[in-house]
Amino acid sequence: MSDTIYVPPLNFALVEDKIYRSGHPVPKNFPFLKTLKLKTVIYIGDKEDNYEYYDFLKQEGIEFKYLKMKSPKEPFVMNDPKIMNDALSIILNVENYPILIHSNKGKHRVGVLVGILRKLLQGWSLTGIFTEYDKYAGGKGESDMEFIEIFETKLEVDRNKLPFYVRLDTT
Amino acid sequence: MEPQTVTISKPPRMRIVPPLNFCPVERQLYRSGQPSKINFEFLQQLHLKTIVWLASEDPIDEFLEFVEDEQIELHFAGINPDGGDNNPWDGLTESSIGQALEVIVNKDNYPLLVCCGMGRHRTGTVIGCLRRLQGWNLASVSEEYRRFTGSRGGRVLVELLIEAFDKSTITVDESTAPEWLLK
Repeated sequence: MSDTIYVPPLNFALVEDKIYRSGHPVPKNFPFLKTLKLKTVIYIGDKEDNYEYYDFLKQEGIEFKYLKMKSPKEPFVMNDPKIMNDALSIILNVENYPILIHSNKGKHRVGVLVGILRKLLQGWSLTGIFTEYDKYAGGKGESDMEFIEIFETKLEVDRNKLPFYVRLDTT
Repeated sequence: MEPQTVTISKPPRMRIVPPLNFCPVERQLYRSGQPSKINFEFLQQLHLKTIVWLASEDPIDEFLEFVEDEQIELHFAGINPDGGDNNPWDGLTESSIGQALEVIVNKDNYPLLVCCGMGRHRTGTVIGCLRRLQGWNLASVSEEYRRFTGSRGGRVLVELLIEAFDKSTITVDESTAPEWLLK
């Protein structure tokens, strides 16, 4: 252990082993991010001029998956199911780990993706999912919870590459 | 290996219910409030080897029975060793924090769950001190602590305990420490 001070990004947390969630990293977070030995970063957002960050990712050889989605403002801007499916396809391949998923504040867009992961891949009760969502979103985002609840999908993936925490019905 | 396509379109039939304030902390290290019967299927997925219980009173019987059935080792780290009154609203003593951290810095105890009654203040104190040990800046440690404290917010005394925590009181043995602690 060194005496370096590590500053994790805003709203940073583990989702499961080797998959993390947070807000948008800034340069003061780079030493911390290095300790995670990331292979992939998934950014759900629409900011395209964080050049210092892109340089950092390039230097570290981290694959940057930019999934463009505006911050939902119901009833006019909605979560995009296609973006969630794209993110899930990356998450469902163990070869992409360790993964960091982030949005700008690490509250809503990432909260929706984690909520879907908890429901679809792990079978958490919705109550548990909503309380977790709310820990980061802090009282806002009722429409996000609805989105998590009604989200449906059909993903074709390679069983041999599924991460350890995915629970599938055996039949 | 040959690719073996599987279709994922529905959640698994059996729903599992995480305990109150459950969250993964690091690889195979988890935090939560006191689990009850509805959480047992969830807990079984974690294949726990050890639980650190931080409250000043004993856990409920059904939880103790679960721990016994699953052959999980249960450490009581929250009881005031000087005897006297044990109030659930009292903070942890430094020796309790030390006892809990000694279990946590040894990977032989993993997978490991740290819990107290509500998973807020006592668990938050220990996890906060662990984050200090990991070299996190204090503002991020407080942010994480407050995430779990509910609508009444964090306690100043808990944050003071975390701030004043002396990292040098914990001996980390490199041969038994979890990998994420040795960066």
